[in-house]
Amino acid sequence: MFRSSATRWILGTAIFVTGITLLRYRPWHPPTREAVATEGVVRDSLTVGFLPVTCHLTCPVTDFATRHSANTRFDSQRFTDFPTIVESMKGGRLEASFMIAPLAMKLREQGMPVKILYLGHRDGSTVMVRKDLPARDLRDLRGKTLAVPSKYSNQYLVIHKLMDDQGVKPDEIRFVELPPPDMPGALAAKAIDAYFVGEPFAAKAELDGSGRVLYYAKDIWPHFISCVLVAHEKLIRERPSVVRDLVRGIAESGEWAETHRLGAAKVAAPYFRQDEALVRFVLTQPPDRVSYRMLTPTDEDLGQIRDMGIKAGILERRIDIRDLVDRSFIPTDIKAANIDAQ
Amino acid sequence: MSGRAFRLERVSRRFGEVEVLRELSLDIACGEFVAVVGPSGCGKTTLLNLLSGHDRSSSGSIAREGRERMVYQQDGLFPWQTVRENIALGLRDLKDPAERARQLSDLIELIRLEGFENHYPHQLSGGMRQRVELARALAGNSETLLMDEPFSALDYLARIRMRHELARILHHRPRTVVLVTHDIEEAAQLADRVVVLTERPAQIRCELAIHQPRPRGLTDPEVVRATDRLLVELGIDGDASRQTSTNYKE
Amino acid sequence: MSQRRLNVRSILLPVAVFAAALALWDGVSRAGFFDKSALPAPAAVILAFGQEIRSGRMFNDLVTSLFRVTVGFLIAVLLGIPLGLWMGQKLAARTAFLPLLNFLRNLSPLAWMPFAILWFGVGDASAIFLICLSAFFPVVLATMAAVANIPAVYFRVAETYGLRGFEKLVQVTIPAIMPQLITMLRVSAGLCWLVVVAAEMIAGRDGLGFAVMDSRNGLRMDLLVAEMVVIGVIGVVLDRVLERLSRIPSVRWGYER
Ligand SMILES: Nc1ncnc2c1ncn2[C@@H]1O[C@H](COP(=O)(O)OP(=O)(O)OP(=O)(O)O)[C@@H](O)[C@H]1O
Ligand SMILES: [Mg+2]
Repeated sequence: MFRSSATRWILGTAIFVTGITLLRYRPWHPPTREAVATEGVVRDSLTVGFLPVTCHLTCPVTDFATRHSANTRFDSQRFTDFPTIVESMKGGRLEASFMIAPLAMKLREQGMPVKILYLGHRDGSTVMVRKDLPARDLRDLRGKTLAVPSKYSNQYLVIHKLMDDQGVKPDEIRFVELPPPDMPGALAAKAIDAYFVGEPFAAKAELDGSGRVLYYAKDIWPHFISCVLVAHEKLIRERPSVVRDLVRGIAESGEWAETHRLGAAKVAAPYFRQDEALVRFVLTQPPDRVSYRMLTPTDEDLGQIRDMGIKAGILERRIDIRDLVDRSFIPTDIKAANIDAQ
Repeated sequence: MSGRAFRLERVSRRFGEVEVLRELSLDIACGEFVAVVGPSGCGKTTLLNLLSGHDRSSSGSIAREGRERMVYQQDGLFPWQTVRENIALGLRDLKDPAERARQLSDLIELIRLEGFENHYPHQLSGGMRQRVELARALAGNSETLLMDEPFSALDYLARIRMRHELARILHHRPRTVVLVTHDIEEAAQLADRVVVLTERPAQIRCELAIHQPRPRGLTDPEVVRATDRLLVELGIDGDASRQTSTNYKE
Repeated sequence: MSQRRLNVRSILLPVAVFAAALALWDGVSRAGFFDKSALPAPAAVILAFGQEIRSGRMFNDLVTSLFRVTVGFLIAVLLGIPLGLWMGQKLAARTAFLPLLNFLRNLSPLAWMPFAILWFGVGDASAIFLICLSAFFPVVLATMAAVANIPAVYFRVAETYGLRGFEKLVQVTIPAIMPQLITMLRVSAGLCWLVVVAAEMIAGRDGLGFAVMDSRNGLRMDLLVAEMVVIGVIGVVLDRVLERLSRIPSVRWGYER
């Protein structure tokens, strides 16, 4: 009895394992990625990490633009958080990614050889407050709770700068760290009074009618930077032409997105797995909510971020910005990428 | 049938400080049915373990002949095997499948469990389980049965029934038997010879031969007489207790 | 007759409870206590579900998660049971390894997450590693304890009837621990399912856990609930399937005493 049952179960397990493995890898499908160019030469390809935030919009757009290009194919890999991106880079499985600027500095400080190649965007973050609060500036938020994505975020640094400017003491506002997707809900539920985050998580509250804009990032810090394109030095050393293609691809995608906002929303929404209407809202209401031009990082911008990071205690050393940035791949002539969003 | 199944000479067994058996000498003839009785904790199970070879004596010598099989008080059957599979365990030496099947059905018939071949032990009553154990131990060509209180988990009526069964089955398949029991009646009814052990450290207090041929009835005079003797030997007033039991029966 | 009635009831009652829960959910979402984005209506979830089914993403995520759980769990079982058998039989091995195993068992598999990503990247390998880790230690420890507690009488009987070596293993040791083994398999399979979903939430690019996280990032509560439903249903199915193991006739003894 035991024998025959055992045989049945072993057989059943074997069939299930085979079946699920076949379904998982679908060997009958040809490789989905067009790894082979028309002439039959293997195209270079590179995976670039990003999060579904509009600060990283140029990453999927570049992916989209290079699907059929004859040059390097850029495969955008969506992550759900920064720690995973960092661990993937440390493990050597991800060589280039978008990430928040202070995090890149922190990595450099810890001895990981990464370089900032380019910026992902300008502006694109927003301070939202509850609709029912009469707050007009930061001083009105004294004693209130304000959420930021993390202590390592530029938002956290920048809000401290603004508090300084307005004479609000650090302990007069209660800060909490929240995952960006939870912020609109928390605001609607009045668990927090305000939050400062990258889009589209601010616009969501605006669309839902639970929040209103207190500041656009550009009001606090014109040409605000939160996210940068980072690459491992090994990649720069070994495949400079790929890196050159990447930076050019980001630049041209950015130029295209700047001028084709509806198209950009259409292209990016499936990559983000977000509602296209929401992405469209961020890109158009108003159009200068986020910008994808002027993406060359200056020493001054980054130095300022670094100094704020040190002041806030999240960075320890004054790392040399010249070691951190590599501007040699940035093209001088940037024309909009040729993308057909249909 | 001639010859000796066991010969124990001045066998002692000690567990550390505890001396359990002291200089025990005992001969058991082939085909003989020996019952061992004695106070609880005196070393009866220890003695059986020495006989089966699962345990070694501290001193003295044990000679044994033929293969022994043990019937346990309870739960000696493999619960994951059916009646048939459990009994077949005793027939593992038989190479011919047809012969094995024949013997298997003979044994099942002998213990009157036809129709229960594919039942698992937990689906049987206690008495049925003991019969299966018996069949397993009797299967094949072992010579000796060692039984450690095989019926003590059964109720009184089932115990009496099992006694009859055992006697009947042994009639068909004679074996040398060493039966450890607390049940004096059982010893008197089944055994050719009853060995009474003393308190620990156990020695042989006395041996009682019962000459009436087996099988015997519970109320045969010789059985009743032997029961009385055993009660006296174990330090319980034989007459007094017999009085009550007779009164009870009448 | 009463058996049949029992069966009908054992189907009807849970269905009724589910229906009531669904009705309550629908009622609450209609009453508008919560914002639409805070509690999606059942209808919206069904719509999202259909959308995910049509796009093939739901099926793909489901296959991915199931694949990881199956492979990780099988590896854990195939490594863990032999190790447990060995340790159960050797007191020295038990003494030597037990403290280490107990130590490792108490670490949540998710704490290994960063290392999994560092060593295996984001994808099948790291998820399988975590699954394997979460099932391996319970499997080893449960097998070991079960073997160590097999009544000695079974081994004596085995010896008496000449069962040795491999025969003893297959006919005595393994069947004797089967009931505990099956219970342990059910428990650790459930654990694996929990862990894979959690692990995919923290890192991944596909799988149901990732889908949950992704819906959250995408602010799609309707999708999220649809995925939660699938996760729950698969968990139940998984346990139901393994529960059938305990219906094998030769292990019933372990459940009926
Ligand atoms: N493995 C052992 N280690 C130490 N002492 C033991 C061991 N086995 C038995 N003993 C001791 O030997 C004595 C006799 O035990 P045994 O089991 O032989 O008694 P018994 O006559 O069978 O008792 P009962 O009628 O209650 O079954 C007991 O006092 C017990 O403490
Ligand atoms: Mg005993």
